[in-house]
Amino acid sequence: MCINVIVHVSANVEQLTTSQLRRIYSKRKLRWDNDLPIVVFVLPNQHPLHQKFSLDILHIFPYQLDRIWNKLTYSGIGTAPIVVPTPKELLNAVAHTPGAIGYVDDVDQNAAINIINISK
Amino acid sequence: MISFVKMLILLMLPLNSLGCLASELANQTWQIHGFAAQGVINVSGSDFVNDDGRLSTELTEVGINASYQLSPFLRAAGQLVYIDGGNRYNKGVRADYLLLDWSIHDSEQWLVNLYLGRFKNNHWLYSSTRDVPFTRPTIILPQGVYFDGFRDIAVGGDGANVKVRYSSDEYGNFDLNVSTGASEISTEQTKIILSEFALGDMGHENDTQLSLYWQPIYSSWRFGFALLDSDFTYKAQQHDAFSDANIVLQRYFINALYEGERWEFSSEVFQERFVMDGFYFADYHQDNFGQGYFLQSRYTVDPKLKLLMRYEHFVVNKDDRSGKKLEQLSGGAIPHYFGYLKELTFGVEYQMSERVKFQFEYHLVDGTARLTPVVLPNTQLNDDENWQMWAAQIMYWF
Repeated sequence: MCINVIVHVSANVEQLTTSQLRRIYSKRKLRWDNDLPIVVFVLPNQHPLHQKFSLDILHIFPYQLDRIWNKLTYSGIGTAPIVVPTPKELLNAVAHTPGAIGYVDDVDQNAAINIINISK
Repeated sequence: MISFVKMLILLMLPLNSLGCLASELANQTWQIHGFAAQGVINVSGSDFVNDDGRLSTELTEVGINASYQLSPFLRAAGQLVYIDGGNRYNKGVRADYLLLDWSIHDSEQWLVNLYLGRFKNNHWLYSSTRDVPFTRPTIILPQGVYFDGFRDIAVGGDGANVKVRYSSDEYGNFDLNVSTGASEISTEQTKIILSEFALGDMGHENDTQLSLYWQPIYSSWRFGFALLDSDFTYKAQQHDAFSDANIVLQRYFINALYEGERWEFSSEVFQERFVMDGFYFADYHQDNFGQGYFLQSRYTVDPKLKLLMRYEHFVVNKDDRSGKKLEQLSGGAIPHYFGYLKELTFGVEYQMSERVKFQFEYHLVDGTARLTPVVLPNTQLNDDENWQMWAAQIMYWF
């Protein structure tokens, strides 16, 4: 299973570092360089693709991400990513949401999204 | 009570759909979440939950929260909770937090937010979600730090909280929190803290806290320290058995958290200064330092099953670790074991589905220092130095 990080074209982003992705998914970076708010989409915690994205791309255990998001949500200090049930719906959500970021396994060329090159 | 919770869960199901619908809003304007938990708890040998020592269903926690993005830099958020914990705290509905979140500055590495209104205590390891059941390591948190008798005072405050987050690719993540804001103290809470015979009004005059957390880059460890300075007053009423009083409570913490693939460790070590002028009689003066710590480890057997073990130790007065001076000064009225708490906890957690979890735990306790009322304890109901409790709770969230 390969993982592609995808971003809506409005963000004007083609490359991100692992550190930047960690900041985005732990909600420590909230805006793209062009000032557009980042809208983060994820799959359910127990979905194999989410587990793989968390471990292989972010190098964070999925339960750690959950704790960060729960703390934001249930103490009022922030908002958690939007959970969508399937990779297909996630792709659709990112393609239709300005500033959105997400991850999928298979992706075809789509004018609405950029497939991100991840650097160290 | 169980039927009441069932009813609330049923009421929440449409809210769940609403939450999903809200989440589908692309602009992320709205978020709605909530939780419901019901358990049973049995305590033998103390009045921690109830006075008669029978199996109790007073272990109910229900909450719903909403977040609304008013503008790119301003957000409103609030959470209502209903809690019932027997003698542990005052039963009922509360606005847990209700705040305006102003994003003062955000960049690649910095986030600065000002929270105005009623905010949660973000300073200790588990303080910000202590009453959100599925986020806790155990149903009953270590009482040295997270004493339920102080829950309504320690859970947050009305005022301002500034949070600064700095993310460095070289040194890791830093989180600084500074808050100032006191809590309302109800008549019931006054009796929980002072004595069931206290007729006067207790006020929380000042509460200032600071904490700093550091997680080294790509590390499983996180380290923190926290400071608390708070002032209380007691205004005696006519025919009151007690006098006016001023109380100062200061706390200093250090903590550490390790989150590995299978093993987790966490620990908080603290010292607290308790100064009381008045109350028993006008010229009464008390100034002592309490100390405490807990060591907790969790092991993930498989993704659904976790085991936990924890030890904690707390003393009311570091110069009277055995409580003998306390017993002497009270003329024998307060037994020595009200001077300390030693507790061993074993827990099991089973994730039944994505949003349903079950927890069970057993506590072996030596000492009664963290029972209510605090200042003038109930020595008749708590005449056992050693006591035990077990609790089981099922929790759902969305």
